[in-house]
Amino acid sequence: MINMNLDKIDTTILEILEKDARTSFREIARKLDVSPDTISKRFQKLKELGIIVDSTVIINPKKIGYSFISRFGVDVKPAYSSQVLEEIIKIPSVIVASKLVGKYDLISIIVVKNFQHLCELREIILEMPYVEKVEASMWINTMELCPCYFLI
Amino acid sequence: MKNKNLDEIDIKILRTLQKNVRTPFKEIANQCNISMDTIKSRYNKMMKNEVIRGSTIVVDPKKMGQGNLVIIGIKIVQQFSDLVMNIIKKMKGLCVVTKSIGQYDIEAIFLLEDIEQIGIIKDKIEDFPQVKSADVGIFVDKPLLCPKNFEFE
Repeated sequence: MINMNLDKIDTTILEILEKDARTSFREIARKLDVSPDTISKRFQKLKELGIIVDSTVIINPKKIGYSFISRFGVDVKPAYSSQVLEEIIKIPSVIVASKLVGKYDLISIIVVKNFQHLCELREIILEMPYVEKVEASMWINTMELCPCYFLI
Repeated sequence: MKNKNLDEIDIKILRTLQKNVRTPFKEIANQCNISMDTIKSRYNKMMKNEVIRGSTIVVDPKKMGQGNLVIIGIKIVQQFSDLVMNIIKKMKGLCVVTKSIGQYDIEAIFLLEDIEQIGIIKDKIEDFPQVKSADVGIFVDKPLLCPKNFEFE
């Protein structure tokens, strides 16, 4: 199931940039046999359409002092989940946060430095207004995360 | 916890690239008031040290018709977590699978094209005799990604 509005040029741009977002437009243009201008325009279009949300450098958290990943499940007072979600995403070290249909109301994936840091993070979330319950789990032996989604 | 491997310039480079990975080195050089070659060699050094693992664009999966993110928490009968994990690793749509300490023994995140697949995957996992139970959670709306939040100190 592929987005109907995209042609071969668009999908190739996406494929190349997902692997290396610093690839020059000139290089992509050469591969597709079109002008760099075309690539630049398409890139802008993909951004305007909200297909490309963002671009970033992928940092290895283990090299900058983080030691593991933790998954938080958060229960909140009904109708306040959006509000709490906005607060959670502001916490440094949070990689992903989302509303969830399932066991918890919100889920958040966080990189953690050490046990003390883990406890602090839990406290921070617990102290937010409307939060009723926080459950943390520690991820060990984590298989590589899909980098275009989780950016670790 | 101060990071000994990175100095101010490194951090400045990382911060800038986190915001926009396509920022030309020249622009970063101007901002830091040092030469472009220095920026380049710092960048290459961080690549070599694996502080930087690469760069990517974030694509909205919904707009690409890639569907729903689903997290599955699995409880296992004692020592079989490696076995089950290896089986899950081969399943279609998997983004990440991990052993876990907490409520579940294994947690896995899938990106699925349609809702029906969730049931199929849950059944498949629960069919294993080593699996006690599998709880499913479906990400709703667009998950907020915040990879830019890393603290460097």
